[in-house]
Parts: sequence; C-alpha cells; structure tokens
Amino acid sequence: MAVASPAQSTPAPKRYSLEGGLPPVAGKVLFVALAVFAVLLPLLLDPISSLLSDCIIALAFVIMALGLNVVVGFAGLLDLGYVAFFAIGAYAVGWFASGFFVDANVYVGVSGFVLNLPGIHTNFLIVLLAAMILCAIGGILIGLPTLRLRGDYIAIVTLAFGEIIRVFAVNGDQIALPFGDANLTAGRQGITPVDQIQLPFLPQFTQLDLRPWYWLVLALVFVTLFVVIRLRDSRLGRAWIAIREDEVAAASMGVPLVKTKLYAYAVGAAIGGVSGAFQASYLNTVNADQFAFSFSIFVLAMIILGGLGSVWGVVFGAVLLSFINSYLIPDVLRTVPKSLGLEFELTDLGFGIFGFLLLIVMVLRPEGLLPEKRRQIELTEGVGTGESTFEVRA
Amino acid sequence: MATTDAPPLPSAAAPARNIFAELLSKYGLFAVLLALPVFYGIKDLRDQGDLSPLATNIFQGLSNGSIWALIAVGYTLVYGIIELINFAHGENFMIGSFVSAGLWGTLGLTLATGPLGLVLGLLLTLIVAMVTCGSLNVMIEKVAYRPLRSAPKLAPLITAVGFSFILQNVGLLWLGGSPAGVPDLLRAQDEVATIIGIRVQRADILAILVTIPLVIAMVTFINKSRLGKAMRATAQDPDAARLQGINVDTTISLTFLIGGMLAGAAGLIYALYQTTIWFFQGFQAGLIAFTAAVMGGIGNLKGAVLGGLIIGVIQQISDSRIGSEWTPAIVFGYLVLVMVFRPQGLIGEETREAG
Amino acid sequence: MTSSTAADPPAGGDTASRAALMTVQGVSKVFGGLTAVSDVSFTIPSRSIVSVIGPNGAGKTTFFNMLTGLYKPTVGRITFLGKDVTGTRPDLITKMGVARTFQNIRLFGTMSALENVLVGQHARMKAGIVGSILRTPGVRKEEERIRVVGREILDFVGMPASSFDQLAINLSYGDQRRVEIARALASEPKLLLLDEPTAGMNPNESDRLTQLMRRLRDERDLTILLIEHDMKVVMGVSERVTVLDHGTKIAEGDPATVRSDPAVVEAYLGKQG
Repeated sequence: MAVASPAQSTPAPKRYSLEGGLPPVAGKVLFVALAVFAVLLPLLLDPISSLLSDCIIALAFVIMALGLNVVVGFAGLLDLGYVAFFAIGAYAVGWFASGFFVDANVYVGVSGFVLNLPGIHTNFLIVLLAAMILCAIGGILIGLPTLRLRGDYIAIVTLAFGEIIRVFAVNGDQIALPFGDANLTAGRQGITPVDQIQLPFLPQFTQLDLRPWYWLVLALVFVTLFVVIRLRDSRLGRAWIAIREDEVAAASMGVPLVKTKLYAYAVGAAIGGVSGAFQASYLNTVNADQFAFSFSIFVLAMIILGGLGSVWGVVFGAVLLSFINSYLIPDVLRTVPKSLGLEFELTDLGFGIFGFLLLIVMVLRPEGLLPEKRRQIELTEGVGTGESTFEVRA
Repeated sequence: MATTDAPPLPSAAAPARNIFAELLSKYGLFAVLLALPVFYGIKDLRDQGDLSPLATNIFQGLSNGSIWALIAVGYTLVYGIIELINFAHGENFMIGSFVSAGLWGTLGLTLATGPLGLVLGLLLTLIVAMVTCGSLNVMIEKVAYRPLRSAPKLAPLITAVGFSFILQNVGLLWLGGSPAGVPDLLRAQDEVATIIGIRVQRADILAILVTIPLVIAMVTFINKSRLGKAMRATAQDPDAARLQGINVDTTISLTFLIGGMLAGAAGLIYALYQTTIWFFQGFQAGLIAFTAAVMGGIGNLKGAVLGGLIIGVIQQISDSRIGSEWTPAIVFGYLVLVMVFRPQGLIGEETREAG
Repeated sequence: MTSSTAADPPAGGDTASRAALMTVQGVSKVFGGLTAVSDVSFTIPSRSIVSVIGPNGAGKTTFFNMLTGLYKPTVGRITFLGKDVTGTRPDLITKMGVARTFQNIRLFGTMSALENVLVGQHARMKAGIVGSILRTPGVRKEEERIRVVGREILDFVGMPASSFDQLAINLSYGDQRRVEIARALASEPKLLLLDEPTAGMNPNESDRLTQLMRRLRDERDLTILLIEHDMKVVMGVSERVTVLDHGTKIAEGDPATVRSDPAVVEAYLGKQG
C-alpha cells in the first residue's frame, strides 16, 4: 500500500488536494452557458447538415463514454469489450422495432404507417428500457466471471466476451429461431431499415429534419450526466473508489465486492445500451460489422484522453475524438497526405491515430486533459498498486 | 483456559472436500479440453468406423499449434518477468510475416528458386525477421512500458493496446486491408505421406521441424544460462535482484528481445504455412497465443508450449467440424473458462517464475 | 456503537467466566504445503483486551486474516456471537460486528479522513442504487447522519477538526493510524482487531493509543484483540496474552505468567534480546 510506510513518518513534503480547478460558482455558470449553447446549436445549423449529424453522433458517443467511465473510471475495472453493449442495445432496436421478424405482427405504443408493416414495432421509450435491461443483464453475466480476477485478466476476459458477441452477431444469421422464418441477427447483411423514433406528443422523427434527433440525444446526455454524477457522490460511488484503491481494505470495511462491482458493470452496460439503441435508430441499421474490437478502444481512448474518472473530461474527450473521427479526418485533413506526396487515404489511419493517442496520453499525461484529481493523485503516487490477492469467495 | 471444552472438530471431513475440489479444479479443465476431440471421435467411429479424420485434425492442429506455441512463449516470458500482458505481441508476429514476405520479394525468392537458393534465402529471412521483431519488441518496451513501470497496472496495458493499434495500422498501410497472397515457396499443401490414415503435408513438417528445435533451444537457454538466472531473480523481486548486481533493465530488455525473436520466427513460418498474410492476423493470433499461455500457466515456458499445441488442436477441430467462422468464439470461450476456473493454468502452481 | 452484550461483569474481572464473543477452535492454515498457522484454539471474552504476540513470521497476521475472513482456514472453526463464521466473506463478518486495522496502514489514500470514515459506515447504510440517483429524503438524511457520526468518531480518536477534510495521503503517520481506527469504529463493531497499531509510533504516541484502547473498552463496550510487537504496550493493556511461534500456540495466560514462561522467553523474548 502506498499510503504510507514507517519510513515516511515525517509529514509528506507534497500535499495533495481535491480542491482546485474552477470555483463552484464559475463551474455552474460555465455549465449553464454550455448547456444553453448546446440546446440552441441546431437553430444555427441547417436541419439536414452533415455537421448537425456529426454533433448527434458525438453526443451518442458522450453517453457511451460516460457509461464506460463508470466501469473503468469509477470502479477501476478495465473493460475492453464494451462494444458488446453497443451491440446488445442496437439489437434491441433491431428485434423490437423493425420489420426483422416478418412473421410477427406486434405493435406496442406506435401509430401511423408502421401499423401496416410486418414485424415487431415497439415505441422507442420501451425499446430503450428493454435495451437497458438486456445490457444490464449482459453486463452482470460478463462481469460475474471476472470478479475474482486481477485487473489485467479482467481486461482480457471482457475483450474475449466482446469478441464472442461479435462472432455471434456476424454468424447469427445461421442461428434459426424456433418461430417462423427468423434468425438471430441477420449477420453482416444487417437489419435495415429500423423504425424511426416516435415519442409521445411529438411528430415522428425523420431523416429530413435532424433537429429532433439532436435534442433527444442531448436530453439523454443530460439524464446520463445526472445519473452518473449522483452515483459518483453516493454511498455506491464511495464504495467504487474504495475497491479501486484497495480491495482488501474495502472488503474489510464492509463493502461487498461482488455486488459493488456488478453494479458498476450493470450501470455501465445499461448506459451503453441506451447509446446503442439510439445509434441504431439514428443510423437506421443494425449491422454486425459495427461491433469490432476497435470500437471498444475508440470509446476507451475517449475516456483516457479526457481523464479517467472525470465526468467533464470524459464528455470533452468523447466530443473531441468523435469530431476528429467523423469530421476532421474524413473532411478536413483528407487531402493532407496527397499534398505531402504520400499515397494513402487518411481515413485508413483512424486506428493508428487512436492507438497513438492512447500511447502518448498514457505516457505523457496519464490523468488526461481534464483530470479528475483523485485519479491524478493515484497515478502520481501509485495508489492502488498494492498487493490485493486474497481468498474472498464470490 | 476457555478452550478446554471445545467440541469435536469437523477436521476429518474438511480435507477430503478440499482434495475433491482440487482434483476437480486440476483435471476438470483437462476434461473440458477433451470434450471436443472425444465427441467427434465417437461421432467418426459411429459414422465411418474410422478415427483417421480425427487423427488428421489432431495432427494438423499440433503443427498449427506449434506456431501458437512460439508466440505464446513470448507472452509468457514477458508476463513472467514484469507481469504485463504485452498486447502488442501479436502485432509483432504480424510484422514478422510482413518483413519475411517483403524480403522474399527483395531477394527474388519465387517458386522457381532452386533448393539451395531457397534454403539460404529462407535462412536469411529467418534471421532478418527474428532480428527485426526482437528489436521492435525491445523498442516497444522502452517507449510504452518502461515509463509506466511504477504506475497502476492498467496504464501499461492501455499503452500496449495503443501500440498494437499503431502496428496494425502500419500493416494496413503496407499491404492494404485485405489478405494478400505470398509465394507458396514450399508448396505447403503438397502431401508428403499418409501414415496410418493421417495426411502429412509439407507445411506440417516445416512447422514441426522449425518450431520444436527453436523452442527446446530457448527453454534450455533460459533454464541454463546466466540470463535465465537473472530473469528468475528479476521476476521474483526486482529490488533484490538489483542489490545482487543484476541489471534489471537489461534483463527485461533481453526478455523482450527473445520474445520478439520467437514472434518473428513464427511470422515467417506462418507466411510459409498459410501463404496468405494480412494486417489483422496478429490480433487473432495474439489472443489465441495469449489463451495458450494462460492455459499452460502464465510464466511457465513448457506450459505455453503445451497450451499452444492444445489450442491448435481445438482450433483445427473447430475449423473443420463446426466452421471456421465460429472458431474465435470457441477459442475465446476456452479462454474465459481457463481464466475463471483455473487462472494458474494446467500445469504449475501460482508462481511468478519464468522457467 | 452501543453494546449489546447481555451479561456485563465489571472490567478486569475473571476473564474466563465471561461470555465468549469469538471462539477459535483448532484453526490451521496451509499455503501450498507450508503451514503458517497450526491448530490454534483461543477465545475472546466480551469487553476484554486480549493480545496475540510472537516473533516475526509466527503467523500472527495470517491468524488475524482468518478471523476477518480474508483467509479461509484450512481446518478448524471460528464462531462469533455463537454463529459459525468460518470462511464467511470479510464484508459480512464486518457487518456482523468485527472491524480491523492493518499492520501497514491501508487507508484509501485519495479520500479525506472523513470520507474514509464514511466508507467505514458502508455496512450500516441502506441507500440503494435508485435511491442514490433520485436522492430521496431518506438517502439525504442518511448522508447527513453519517457525516455527523463520522465527525464524532474522528473527534473521539483525537483528530483535530482541521484535519477532517485532509486527504489521507497527506496525514502524518500517527494521524493515519488514528483515522484507520476511526474508520474501523465507524462500522459499529463489537470486536475490534488492531494489527500492530503502535508500529512506528514514539512512546508518547503509543501511550495515548493505549489510553484510547481502554476508553474504547470502558466507554464504548468494545472488545479488542491486539497483535503487537511492542511488549510494553501488550503487558500494560492486555488482560490475557496468547503467544504464537512458528504458527503454533506456545503459551497463554495473564501478562505476568506469560512473561515468565520459559518457552516464551526462549522463543520470543530471548530472540528479542
């Protein structure tokens, strides 16, 4: 344990503090200003512009990153298979809000012309709930086997689960379901189109006006922020910090490790499912090729870049990387290699750029761009590197 | 004192339960591993009255698995000494394949090259691939892991993933996004013989002939040499090793060098064996080999070899019987099973020893 | 923090006649062929201060870890308040009323002194996940309550109020020891296990700690099990001393008897010089 050793009995020369950064009032003002700007932004943009579309994707990634941050940032469990929850959330839409199951004619809380289409058509809010529940269950099932493992083993087991789910998504068209002429996932062919979102009291969303999509995902971002901040500052949030820093001490203080970790997995997964369901609806497709390992790393890079554990850092990292990926690389910098006389497409460099970012940030500024103070201290002082193997049975 | 009236203890029953649990944990995994071959063995016997298809699967699995064994040794060496999953190791192996194929082009090795030219050319390629990958691995350690040696465990793992992505991208830019064919220098698919119903291809002979001596040489070297002793000392306690005059940084660098060299050799053999290479081969191979290393007991060299061979067989049976598109799920399923139920692996107790 | 001990004989009475809070019967621990603790039996009477001593490597901490659930005994049985707790999870044992400190202080470094004590109260809280998100009035009240209680406990162990919000990592060694005891007390234990609490303290500090232990027993009806190296502390405060050497119990009794036991002198005092 790095907290102290007898040799350090003289007062530590360095004094750390969680204070600092913006004073609380300025922080609130900044938040309100940014929130107002975010709400009004679509009014400044063309309702079908690609920039607005990039903003929608960026916000969907903010939700995703906030979810992964609960698992990795708060509870300290490195999850390399987070794409699994993107997949499950997306398939919730594919299964319950599309014409995929052609033999079924089930309509729940929908109106308009979808009533004339075959398949299962469910209101988006119910699909969202289903996605969260499915993902939370998935998160717990994936989390359960990792409970007694060391940190690096957790990373590999979650990665393996992510790959297993991808293999099932890709080959799911070979798995016949016992009713009608249905299979599990439609594989690489994908489930497309899926239902456009219908919300109570609002007209149906269409691809001709992206503003409702934007406001919806922004609202989901606000709800997610509210939830993760409340949890961070609660009994559960303190327990997460405790197990992250010292499992032995946490367990000895009455924190149930299994339950506390599974809560982190379940909450993180459910949030990922929300984003997955939204993205599937917005992109109007659920395709097995979306669920690659690189997606998990993309989201991980967002939270590392922004600052592990730091809610605002994660928001910033997600917006930044999402724009680099969807705007800067394909639209702005595309011609750079050609102008330098190099023969490759910059979009081919996507992977490498994010890998490079992970490397550079971790070596030079492991606490990220907008660090969370606790994490910063942990990283500089090596808190949480202590020996922690013991015989707690799940 | 108050303990004089203690009631009889349940001491007789407890050890018996423990032994049972231990047996289950030790041999349960063997049983699960045997499930696939036994199932298809019985099926073959019933359907055809003949075990030769299964025997061919197993044989080809062993030859395939010997490549995984080479890569797995690299994982296990590094983990054994600094407890780090060198996630970029699979990509290192991929670079080994790419360097080899590139060098064939430079040297002008083709199907038409005579036997002597071929042997010399391949020998040169082997040396170049091993040196390249060895140095690359040392460089990765210096850049990505050494600065984070005292940081929490997650930090070097994240840089490892980052490096793996960078190398994948190098491969992508090098040969493009789809698998590229390379000259089938050894006519790998040619059948050499059929022994008791097992078809033996030239590729199998290559894999076995190169891999087994290489692995034996490495294991002997590490067990017998001074470097091996330094590695074991560093693995047990870096600070104590330093006090004994062992240069810990050099020892770690040399460990990465050896691991990288084996990955380079595996890269060459893979290119000869499969005759197609692509930038993504390292990701899957890396995970498979890591599974092998864990299965054998990470940190244990012989275990890594054993694990590689076992995984090779499982993979081959799955490829030919269930469908190669499901193989990753099956291999990763085994990975999860091993990590959860027997994280210390098939052989060896929990130990940090590299040897 | 209130005691529920039924029979309450005056402190310092005949320890053997008091109700046993924790009983340990024939406990052994084997690590891969190496026996760390071998067939130790032992009882902790209610409202007493008892000690386990022994030279380095005698198996004291292993023994401790079995009592708190970190290790599962290879054989033997541990009961607490009449319930079998052998191999029970550490958090459940804590919930039943056993709290501990660590030899090499294991505070949560990036939490303030107060936050550490709040974590200590985890087992005594009710807030669930939904309640925490909605921050219901019940949860709000609970959060307020645990902060009041946390400050009280920190005050009780002698922390100055100015240090309550100081990060654990910044605190002096003695203060860290105090906060660790406060964190353990926060879980409202009946039995407090202290693992070498005076290690690294000067005589003045360890005197104050000894007084604190007596106050805990007398004012808060706590039972204390102490692992110690410092003979002066052990002999001054304990009603009964158990001596471990090479994992086996070699002597037990009141401090004076143990001190003069030839086996103890040979194994422990002799080696200490």
